[in-house]
Amino acid sequence: MSAPEASVQVSFKNRAKTALADRTLKIAIDRTTGTAEAKRAVAVAAFPEFQDARARGRAIKDHVIAHLDHYLEQFERNATASGAKVHWASDDAEARAIITRICLDAKAKLVTRSKSMLGEEIGLPHALADAGIERVETDLAEHIIQLAGEAPSHIVWPAMHRTREQVAELFKIAHHPPPAADDPATMVQSARRELRAKFLGADIGISGSNFLVADTGATCTVTNEGNAELTTTPPRIHIVTAGIEKIVPTTAHALSLLRLLVRSATGGELTQYTTFHCGPKRPGDADGPEEMHIVLVDNGRTRMLANEFREMLRCIRCGACMNHCVVYRQIGGHAYGGTYPGPMGSVLTPVLNGLAGSRDLPNACTMNGRCAEVCPVEIPIPTLLRAWRIRSWRERLEPGSLRAGIGIWAVLARRPGLYRLASRIGVRAIRLFGKGGWIARLPLAGGWTAHRDLPRPTGRTFMDQYRAQQADKGDRP
Amino acid sequence: MTARDRILSAIRAALPQERPAPDAIAAEAKALLADPDTSRPRLVAEGLVDAFILKAEAIGTTIDRVGGMEAVPDAVRRYLSGYGLSLSLAVEPTPALTALDWTGLDTGTTLAPDQPAALGKALWGIAESGSMIVHSGADTPILLSFLPLHHIVVLQESDILSHLEDYAAQLAERPHPRNAILITGPSGTTDIEGSYVRGAHGPGFLHVILVASTD
Repeated sequence: MSAPEASVQVSFKNRAKTALADRTLKIAIDRTTGTAEAKRAVAVAAFPEFQDARARGRAIKDHVIAHLDHYLEQFERNATASGAKVHWASDDAEARAIITRICLDAKAKLVTRSKSMLGEEIGLPHALADAGIERVETDLAEHIIQLAGEAPSHIVWPAMHRTREQVAELFKIAHHPPPAADDPATMVQSARRELRAKFLGADIGISGSNFLVADTGATCTVTNEGNAELTTTPPRIHIVTAGIEKIVPTTAHALSLLRLLVRSATGGELTQYTTFHCGPKRPGDADGPEEMHIVLVDNGRTRMLANEFREMLRCIRCGACMNHCVVYRQIGGHAYGGTYPGPMGSVLTPVLNGLAGSRDLPNACTMNGRCAEVCPVEIPIPTLLRAWRIRSWRERLEPGSLRAGIGIWAVLARRPGLYRLASRIGVRAIRLFGKGGWIARLPLAGGWTAHRDLPRPTGRTFMDQYRAQQADKGDRP
Repeated sequence: MTARDRILSAIRAALPQERPAPDAIAAEAKALLADPDTSRPRLVAEGLVDAFILKAEAIGTTIDRVGGMEAVPDAVRRYLSGYGLSLSLAVEPTPALTALDWTGLDTGTTLAPDQPAALGKALWGIAESGSMIVHSGADTPILLSFLPLHHIVVLQESDILSHLEDYAAQLAERPHPRNAILITGPSGTTDIEGSYVRGAHGPGFLHVILVASTD
């Protein structure tokens, strides 16, 4: 059973509980996020200008968002002039229809794909399968989860939930010949051998885009493996899928943002391959596709532009927020149930799937602020998660018991006298459940006491103690 | 109403009605790049060549310095022999390379499936990051940079630029090629447990023959 299917049937709490019980998953998460956190710290320390670069990156994204229509039209003009065909899709269904139509018109049998989270967001893998087209994922991690029949659990390391031993099991069945050993180097060689023929035999190559450059009409991919260029060069047709927020004014702006993106994602300075793709093969070119299609996808982005989530459009998909999130590092990506996991996913999933089915995500946050501290474009993620909590309350999505409890608290909180009386009764009543200095079990507080003991109150409220202390001071000469 | 109209009108509805003219937007965009030194890494050495070498070697690129273009075939032979490879490789059909004397080496312009090495020429290097730049064209097939296990690149010292912005300026001065590629080290992956392995799909070895400036 794949993760997205599971998410429809099972609640977030149950998915999180299952994830927490999975010791292998915890090992896998710790290995990758631990390395990512350490490498980012080294890369940032080696770049004293990082904070200034961050402010500039944020300003570039805000500028583009403030003139989004202008830049999209400029991009469309220049991409068209380069010989590419630009398509527009309001939502995921329109995007799937456009891409499937291009594949069917070309009578494509084999499609190679270079990792793109937007492709996952619009459900491209399923759409291609439904159209009877063989899809080969070429990013190593995407190759692993395609073999496992899973969705990505991280936006940079989609297979980070799998240990090397689990990857070896998959390759042993799928690769011919199977890899000779289960160390990462041998398995990477095996995937290289297995996928080489697919690259060269594909009818269509599909990639995402990290940037759309308005003044040239180029799209930009970044990879460490070199799979994007091997995906987009040999086939007859190259299709790009891109969110409309990916636009930047010029190549120089894109390169400026790249410094932030790569350091924040992997701790590298640049990915091994950064490629600007501008139109199809030119007359006389030694290689390249004959057709290039660019599908610009809205899918909720113009809604975010109009509401309190506009700042989320700055996101450049580095994944630093999840690598530094205490919740993500306990439960991994699949428990979130959406395309995008972690802090940024908890902001985006309610936009994409509706708040009613995903209101647990903005609540599954400790508000420790780590995500906002490391975000390379200064997105105030905790503030945006709080905005979802406020919406959820306004739309009355919480269960009745919770609303009633908060309602009672609100009545007390607005009446200081009554509040103090209730606290006085409360701390004395709670003391009755304690043994020694600690309380192991307390009615209505099972969520707390299931995991740790509660300190036994002293028997007097803070206000009582404060008053007594102030009175003492008054007595002194 | 087309999807294009729907998207553009939704954007316009969300943004202020009074909008600056295109010239003003362009000026604002340009201002965002002003004073780049405040927000980009400093070079790791005084000179461009030294900085380039330090950065390139740090990411696993190997470097062989030669005195002139005529020394390139010997450097290639040295490299292939060092790895115990046969003296056979694909050479990008760019005049600067095809004009050289390849006697004693088996060279072609296409890469056979079992051929481990290809030679190309970079247009520029970047001292900031140890990157090299390749543009697609009639005599620069992109696949030669990605298919072989050993990618050998000729770079002239005089073509080393300081920062990424300097390359952006060069690119802006000419027609944009189909592909403009920054190559920064050999192909690698960290997709299995975050552990770094070279040669994922592209070349596992990136070797630069750095040619001294003649003037």
